[in-house]
Amino acid sequence: MENKFELVGKRPTVLTESKKRRTLRGKPVISVSFILVLILACSFCELFMPKDPTYMDLYNADAAPNGEFFFGTDAMGRDIFSMIWYGGRISLFIGFFATVISVFIAVIFGSISGLAPKWVDSILMRFTELLLSIPSLLLVILLQAIMGKANVLSISIILGLTGWMSMAKVVRSEVRQIRESEYVIAARCMGAGFWRIVWKHLAPNFVSSIMFMAVMNVRSAIVAESTLSFIGMGLPLEIISWGSLLSLAERSILSGSWWIIVIPGVFLVLTLLCLTNIGNHLRKAVNRKESNL
Amino acid sequence: MIRENPFVYYGKKLFVFLLSLFILSLAVFFISRLAPGDPLVSYYGDRVEKMSVEEREWAENKLGLNESLPVQYGRWAKNALCGDFGISYKYKMEASEVIGERIGNTLVLGGIGFLLTFVLALGLGILCAYYEDKWLDKLLCRVGTITSCIPEFWLSLVLILIFSVNLNLLPGSGAYSIGNKDDFGDRMLHLVLPLAVVVINHLWYYAYMVRNKLLEEVRAEYVLLGKAKGLSKRKIIFRHCLRNIMPSYLSLMAISVPHIMGGTYIIETVFSYPGIGKLATESARYKDYNLLMLICLISGAVVILCNIIAQIINERIDPRMRESRHIEEGEVAENGK
Repeated sequence: MENKFELVGKRPTVLTESKKRRTLRGKPVISVSFILVLILACSFCELFMPKDPTYMDLYNADAAPNGEFFFGTDAMGRDIFSMIWYGGRISLFIGFFATVISVFIAVIFGSISGLAPKWVDSILMRFTELLLSIPSLLLVILLQAIMGKANVLSISIILGLTGWMSMAKVVRSEVRQIRESEYVIAARCMGAGFWRIVWKHLAPNFVSSIMFMAVMNVRSAIVAESTLSFIGMGLPLEIISWGSLLSLAERSILSGSWWIIVIPGVFLVLTLLCLTNIGNHLRKAVNRKESNL
Repeated sequence: MIRENPFVYYGKKLFVFLLSLFILSLAVFFISRLAPGDPLVSYYGDRVEKMSVEEREWAENKLGLNESLPVQYGRWAKNALCGDFGISYKYKMEASEVIGERIGNTLVLGGIGFLLTFVLALGLGILCAYYEDKWLDKLLCRVGTITSCIPEFWLSLVLILIFSVNLNLLPGSGAYSIGNKDDFGDRMLHLVLPLAVVVINHLWYYAYMVRNKLLEEVRAEYVLLGKAKGLSKRKIIFRHCLRNIMPSYLSLMAISVPHIMGGTYIIETVFSYPGIGKLATESARYKDYNLLMLICLISGAVVILCNIIAQIINERIDPRMRESRHIEEGEVAENGK
């Protein structure tokens, strides 16, 4: 093709940027790499942790950051540097696991509601609205009370059970829009079951719209876990997570040990910030026209 | 749109409100009774462990804990309708009295926080939209994203650490210093830090909404017309664009009440501020059923009420919302073609 015609007056295209740079431009490179490094470091923390995070070195309790304890120690003499990596594992696990549960419920519930006849759909939607109207903190506290003593799994399940509602609504409206399309009807005529239709035909359509919500769900699950553990309704002190690590902070205010509050908190906030950046990137970019002002 | 009789219209809304409240109370009641943990402990303290079987039975009988759940719910609901929500096992007082003492504090904190957030978010949003893509807008967006990522409890801790412990400027806990209960200035001083947390935490979310709505609005045709008429940029934004986004902003704020309320609960706990948020976490921990139920009901009622208000605002302004179901069906049909 190129040799048959000669384009006259074509502006020479100058490729100054390398291909690699172009594919990465506008993408949250720093955030993704931070999260990846964090996940790697937390999963393999045994390799480089200088101390045992559960060991209570009472002789060195409340020590300020120094050469031996990079980030200091808490009121029980545990090394904060080691605890951050060790506890990050649990915090991240809860964030991701809770999200997996939420997404699973949301997809199932949303698909059922979207495919169901109108009256079932409206009952299911009223139900989600009712659930949404209970303040989520109270709901979590109530569920936590039923499940008894908190552990990593029970907290993830509770957070997963309380976080799916708004995602389900999005799935439902997407499904309702495509449920009458030819390919879905065709699949149904050929005898495809519920799961096959959801997985093969519906899911590819709503994946992009719930990706953003899923990433935000990881973020809010991590916040919820740390908040719960902080007010003493989540993980107990022995199970180290960023939340239970910070639950000692209230006491350390009185002794003025700032490092117990600030250092784990900075890690927490940085993680949340990176997740937000990734989430915002996943949200469909709005195509802005020129301003009329 | 067919004009409905306002009595029928508001009657329907009231019915929905009461129905939701009933389901909410049912759910909260059963969940709290199914939870493990001994409510006798919160009433009698550690003495429960020394009680004999007969004494336990007598105590359970007295508090009505040994009957079947539906019977317990029926009695609770009957009493509740007469304004009697039972006694708080921990405080040995009427649950409504315990809450009555504290709800004022929460209302002050939540109310002022809400108003400040409301006004500041609007201002910030306008500022960002006015200077779209200039450095100020970019800076505010960056800072805003960061502040919205900070968990409430951690922000509270850091503020206490800086202003209360290190600088010794502001009190970091309680609603008033001991013996100063009626001192207005002292109370205000105690409010500064919790309020700062409420505002900082929620501000950007709403400001960002205002910014985005305004940016959409600014791209409308009428702005061009205004400009052709010679109106100044400021006039166009304040006189025309702002008026168009106000309704959706108002309904957004109505929906936001539960978010701000939930945040207040955590903040109260960190600042040991004697409001119902602190009471809620406390009563959940001590299995103080009657108190917990009443708090859940009050919070739930506020949330449902706010949702209904938001719905009413939306429907008043945009009658299409009322027929949203039909529109949706139309869309589905079109897509199916």
